[in-house]
Amino acid sequence: MKRSIAGACAGLLSSLLITGADAHPHVWVTLHSEILYAPDGAMTGVRHAWKFDDMFSAYALQGIHHAKKGQYTREELASLAQLNVDSLKEYDYFTFARGDGKKLKFTAPVDYWLEYANPALVLHFTLPLKSPAAAKALQVEVYDPTIFVDFEFAKEKPVALDGAPRQCLLSADLPHQPTPAEQMRLSQLDATPLDANSPFAEIFANKMLVRCP
Amino acid sequence: MFSFHQKRACCKTLTAVLAILAVSFVASAALAQGVPFGAPHPASAALSGSGPVGWIFAEQAAFYRSLSGYIRASKDDGAAKWGLFGISFLYGIFHAVGPGHGKAVISSYLVANEETWRRGVTLSFVSAGIQSVVAVIIVAIAAVLLEATAKTIGWTVHIVEIVSYVLIILIGLRLLFVKGRSFLFACRRFEWPVRQLEVAPSAAGIGQSFHRNSAGPIGCSHCEAGGHGFHCDGDHEHDHHASAWSHAHGPEPAELGGAGGWRRGLSAVMAVGLRPCSGAIIVLVFALAQDLFWTGVGATLLMGLGTALTVALIATLAVSARQIASRIASAQSGWGMLAMRAVEVGASALMIAFGALPLAGYMASEQLWMFTG
Repeated sequence: MKRSIAGACAGLLSSLLITGADAHPHVWVTLHSEILYAPDGAMTGVRHAWKFDDMFSAYALQGIHHAKKGQYTREELASLAQLNVDSLKEYDYFTFARGDGKKLKFTAPVDYWLEYANPALVLHFTLPLKSPAAAKALQVEVYDPTIFVDFEFAKEKPVALDGAPRQCLLSADLPHQPTPAEQMRLSQLDATPLDANSPFAEIFANKMLVRCP
Repeated sequence: MFSFHQKRACCKTLTAVLAILAVSFVASAALAQGVPFGAPHPASAALSGSGPVGWIFAEQAAFYRSLSGYIRASKDDGAAKWGLFGISFLYGIFHAVGPGHGKAVISSYLVANEETWRRGVTLSFVSAGIQSVVAVIIVAIAAVLLEATAKTIGWTVHIVEIVSYVLIILIGLRLLFVKGRSFLFACRRFEWPVRQLEVAPSAAGIGQSFHRNSAGPIGCSHCEAGGHGFHCDGDHEHDHHASAWSHAHGPEPAELGGAGGWRRGLSAVMAVGLRPCSGAIIVLVFALAQDLFWTGVGATLLMGLGTALTVALIATLAVSARQIASRIASAQSGWGMLAMRAVEVGASALMIAFGALPLAGYMASEQLWMFTG
């Protein structure tokens, strides 16, 4: 009998705990990114243009004063852009870079603004590296470790190099479709959230790779 | 010598039940962690349950993304509204399979309180209904009336969320107190088989009569120091079933169907339903931006209806599991009763955990402030 009760108990608990899919993600971002270089060939930073999905755009625009219906100027959106980059700090701007395998650090964003292209908001910002990095193999990944935000490379010209030495080759690595096991893990993110240091989400990362001789 | 064994047995029972709870918890957590981190293609580790779960995951995301198109379309085309409502309903069903939406809290509550499935279903619907209405009220007041920003809405949701978790913890604590006491009473009344095992072989006849006359008082005095035999016996006649809102004496099972029972249940689902779903908030604000607030309200209510179905199904599973366990337990006189009381204590503790963990930031909640402060 002990066992039957244990069984009933376990069954009940698993029905409570092993419940599946959550809302992840709730925000979708289509991204264009450029990797920036100094004249001496060292990488100096990343310039992003992130386009939000229309529902989140409408949500973010709620209550923002604007003179003309359906139109927002860069000035009208300035405070929201400030809020965006301030909030993103906590998430390391969802941008993770490595030079020859070593982690590269970014400083606070510069040149940031929001643009409203009906129906979507586009956040432009530049992330400078703390110190320029000259590396043979550079890797820049964009992803949300908690998978609340879904990042996806834009269909056209998702990535570019700005000022890189001519011999450098750029390639973009798209995230693969999640396997069943990954989906299983994805579905349990709320019950067992990912540690911000967990590399799990990297499999969904949008990777930019630059190889220079 | 007896007291030592009784105490030990009492502790053992408690430990066993807590162990069951803990093991289930850890097992599910382990299952969740089971996917090899960092391995690029862990397809080989495919888990049996992943198929349908993955499918639900993909479906609900697709439904969610298609909502904006339907809302836009219903601006010019009245018929598209029906498509929107249908998709909202489906999204609600699928979305609620995920954590949140009070399934776990409601189920723990139902198990701890020995509720019927009928009441479980009703409470699930009420909770989902409250959840939708709260989302509508927040957006109506904050966005429509006050023209507040997303930041303000996000904080409002966050504060309501905290209130909800605190209320859940309070209700859980109250339950734990009542059920814990109920467990102690059951523990006192329990006729410990330990004694029979140890006494019977030496002097079976004497052991029997001794057992009949003084089992209760002895058990009692050792489960709770200072308890007197008579007093104790009188007490647990009434404490057969204690409920969350009763005082020293719990209501008889028949009373549970009364108005008081509903009031108790409603306060629990009120606490759960307070916390709105961030998806509904976003959809409502989006609909408002398209000048289709009422269409958004309709979509939100249908989402709530879909959510209610899923929550009711899971609540029914929980209640059935408890009933099965109860039936098995009632076949075993003393031990089973004690085990059921212990399960109730465990369920109360779980309810507290479901309120406390998100509050402590251990369980991620749906965040609305990632970009908007």
